[in-house]
Amino acid sequence: MSVNLHTQRADPAPPPPRPGRHQSRSRRRFWSQLDLKAAPYFLISPYFLLFAIFGLFPLIFTFWVSLQDYGLAGGDASFTGLENYSKLLADSDFWNAVVNTVGIFILATVPQLVLALMLANALNKRLRGRLFFRLGVLVPLVTSVVAVAIVFTQLYGRDFGLINWLLEFVGVEQHIDWQSAKWSSWIAIATMVDWRWTGYNAIIYLAGMQTIPKDLYEAASIDGASPRRQFWQITLPMIRPTIIFTVFVSTIGGLTLFAEPVMFASNRMDGGATGQFQTIAMYIVEQAFRNFDYGYAAAAAWLLFVLILLGVGINYLFIRRIGGAK
Amino acid sequence: MTAITQAGPARRSGARSKRDPFRATPLTKVALGFTVLLSIFPIYWMVIIASRTNRDAVDVPPPLLPGGNLGENVQRVLNTEDAHFITGLVNSLIVTSTVTFSVVIISTFAGFAFARLHFRGRNLLLGSILITMMVPLQQMGIVPLYQLMVSLGWVGTLKAVILPYLLNGFGVFMMTQYTDQAVPDELVEAARVDGASTMRIWWNVILPAVRPGMAVLALQTFMLNWNEFMWPLIVLSPENPTVQVSISFLTAAHSTDYVLIFTGTALSVLPLVIVFVAFGRQIVGGLMEGAVKA
Amino acid sequence: MMNNMRRGKMLAVASVMTAALGITTACSSGDTGSGASGSSSAAAEKITLTLQTFGGGTNFGYKAAVEKWNTEHPNVQVKYNNLTDSFENVYWPQMLQWLQSGTGAGDVVGIDEGGMGLAKARPQFFTDLGEYGLQSRQADFPAWKWENGVNSEGKLFALGTDVGGMSICYRTDLFKKAGLPTDRDEVGKLWSGGWEDFIKAGQQFQGKVKDAKFIDSINTIYNVVLSQEAAKNGNVTYFDKNQQLIVDKNPAVKTAFDLATKMSGSGLTAKLQNFTDGWNTGFVKSQFATLGCPGWMLGVVSGTAGDEFKGKWDVATVPGGGGNWGGSWLAVPKQSKHPKEAAELASYLTSPEAQLLAFKEGGNLPSTIPAQDNPELQSATNEYFNNAPIGKIFGPSIKSLQPIFLGEKHAQVKREVEQVLNGTEQGSVPADQAWQKFVEAGQKAAG
Repeated sequence: MSVNLHTQRADPAPPPPRPGRHQSRSRRRFWSQLDLKAAPYFLISPYFLLFAIFGLFPLIFTFWVSLQDYGLAGGDASFTGLENYSKLLADSDFWNAVVNTVGIFILATVPQLVLALMLANALNKRLRGRLFFRLGVLVPLVTSVVAVAIVFTQLYGRDFGLINWLLEFVGVEQHIDWQSAKWSSWIAIATMVDWRWTGYNAIIYLAGMQTIPKDLYEAASIDGASPRRQFWQITLPMIRPTIIFTVFVSTIGGLTLFAEPVMFASNRMDGGATGQFQTIAMYIVEQAFRNFDYGYAAAAAWLLFVLILLGVGINYLFIRRIGGAK
Repeated sequence: MTAITQAGPARRSGARSKRDPFRATPLTKVALGFTVLLSIFPIYWMVIIASRTNRDAVDVPPPLLPGGNLGENVQRVLNTEDAHFITGLVNSLIVTSTVTFSVVIISTFAGFAFARLHFRGRNLLLGSILITMMVPLQQMGIVPLYQLMVSLGWVGTLKAVILPYLLNGFGVFMMTQYTDQAVPDELVEAARVDGASTMRIWWNVILPAVRPGMAVLALQTFMLNWNEFMWPLIVLSPENPTVQVSISFLTAAHSTDYVLIFTGTALSVLPLVIVFVAFGRQIVGGLMEGAVKA
Repeated sequence: MMNNMRRGKMLAVASVMTAALGITTACSSGDTGSGASGSSSAAAEKITLTLQTFGGGTNFGYKAAVEKWNTEHPNVQVKYNNLTDSFENVYWPQMLQWLQSGTGAGDVVGIDEGGMGLAKARPQFFTDLGEYGLQSRQADFPAWKWENGVNSEGKLFALGTDVGGMSICYRTDLFKKAGLPTDRDEVGKLWSGGWEDFIKAGQQFQGKVKDAKFIDSINTIYNVVLSQEAAKNGNVTYFDKNQQLIVDKNPAVKTAFDLATKMSGSGLTAKLQNFTDGWNTGFVKSQFATLGCPGWMLGVVSGTAGDEFKGKWDVATVPGGGGNWGGSWLAVPKQSKHPKEAAELASYLTSPEAQLLAFKEGGNLPSTIPAQDNPELQSATNEYFNNAPIGKIFGPSIKSLQPIFLGEKHAQVKREVEQVLNGTEQGSVPADQAWQKFVEAGQKAAG
């Protein structure tokens, strides 16, 4: 899926047959003109109406709420201006959540997309039972996120988990308490995300790869280019729009990560004893629905939005470079 | 819909020369096999635990073969009143179907307008949708949305988890792209000349042409919404949950009963897995076609 | 949820939106919410009350009592939901959210002592039980248990269920393996000199047994010591009686902190935070040999460890003197649609009769005087705990238990400071910074 909508928009479609200015008397004419002018707005109105209520209003109201200080659970609220923001910017717990979110995001997304690319490349080969393989890598997607988190949390159990048991075979005698440290909890959560999404991204990449004209590869082969070189020189640049799309989606998903770390923390919002894996989304919920500090939570929500804008922006620039600017 | 999976470059290649870049090496096959194994294992293991006893679940080494308690465990989950598991499943189906249907219709409407109709402010409005795609609404707006639901008295009802999901900027964007690719402008113009109204064109021309795109959008919306967790967890109560919330309450209330939790989890996953296996060919094909066209 | 002014504004906005929604979507079909059912005025109609509690195992011990009620009241059936193990981390925040939003809370809800400070300060959340004649129950309760159920407006909103008390639960088979005495009197003597003796016993245990630890977790032992020390320091913990935070000044807190970190630091704990999955599994996998046991904890142990360990647990006296950890109340949220019947249920569950049923089922020590005086209680033994004479062990101290004052934000502070303890135990908080972080966490949570 490509994001370069604007380039497609560039060549204007033929203008609609403009009805003459001189009024026709026929009713039909009137209706058809009304239809022409009003119908587009009618067609887009459901979206924008819903957006106004469930999109625009919450956003604006979030800002208003973020200027208030709320008492604990049913206490009164008072207007405090930007105080929540200045408190938040100085709150080490908030920054801890930001670091965790970004860290887990990078740990989850980079291997995920690289693996997906390799997987797509492999799936693009000629082989028997291709449907089986494609279904096989896609099956994690249809499991539910909470289910994945429960199963993986069990697999990562400190004393009786499968993973620590397997690690014994490679010489890790001391059982790892996966929840207790930053690095281990990040890895555990990142693998949950990766397990669920790598196959999906691979299928999307595969779709992109199959639109690449075969001649390109044949010509390259004749020129003596190795498969590896062909991958770098042909495949990657050709599916760049697809990559941008997946990065874009993964960024939003990664920066709003919630279900996996929450289930990993036994339904708690604090992400471990010292918040080792508390993400921003968990932080927001903790502030809003554990400490009932709605204003503070709302301020954190706005900062999350800023972070997402930054993340998407940085990624976009990065990918533009990687794919080789055209 | 399945055409695309068949017509990969591999099929068309006649030459089996050594240089053929599309030849799968044994290494590739092994790697793929291993990946599929990894993909399936957690689901397999979920069923293993669901078929055993609590004592087995914390055994070292962990059990890898099924036991004989599956039926009994399923019975136990269904009898665990406080999990409201069946309610959760039914609720999830209601919520997800409603959301999916609405998102697809709303997006197809808007996609048609943006791709094939001409009106003032079109680019501006489309641009605004692209920007809002980046806003995680249910997370950013969680506080006001919650307050809104409290004021409306909708906390704990399914309305609270349906309405905020009816809009989906991604859906509009995707259907705009898809319509743009799948419906030639001339087709719309021809229908116009024949005197068809906009709605008639939508029904007779657009809808048949964008059906595969709708299917992909439906599939994605369904899966995303089925997995929605944060907002339902906040706004629903244990008595009237969605399936994800129900499992989460199950883990909170019966944390010692691993088998119960795993059986519930397996029950919540299996319907989707079965659908997936049954319609696998169509889903993969549709997903890939949608991915290319949109 | 919001003050009245804001609420008014929100309602105005909301009504406009409802109108708008009516045009675009007609999908209220999915609503199977609880809001629809009518009022309770028709008394003959069969109604269902939801009872919500927390705690692991058979904490609260209400199974038998609820069954009895349900057979005696065919038209008022009780659905008993024990929502989660963890009070501070999961149950209470969620309950507060439901209480604020006006939906989600049950008809009768359990509140741990740690939540009572806040509950008292929010009269808007709970039904005035006096309206349903429950003022008459006053004579049943010791003054402190009764008074804690009276809110800031002087209205009765909660009735006491159990009181804490304190003992040590221990695994006889593991003690035997370690060459320690197994008889409960001898075990009690083993550490009659206080906590230092307890640590010594632990070191002896650890010298022999490698695959289990002496103590379950740092936070259980911390709470045991804190409850004992609070009694020696004016019966306060994190807040003084003026709601001022004294986490850094109260010697009780520091003593408990030092002792708990010492035990954990010398490798005596299994590092399983209490009321978590790992802790629960620890019972089943015999990962620890002792834990601090207030009366209600007996039910947690038996319910979590299960039949396999029946008879392997026993109860001994606690080092360092008596203490009162825990004990709960039942309240009827304002949002209940059947406040009359709910009040009746709350009164029944806190009646001497039902408290004795709970005592037999879970070990919860009754808070009513008639139940405490009941000879049945005095002579009671607990089959699960190797027929330990729990009536004798807990009985004598039960009347002298001191109420510990807990501030409005007690649950918040407890949650945060205990997380630092866990971090210390797991190693994510360096030992030399632990106390400072502990105090900071408390200050932040209170702030």
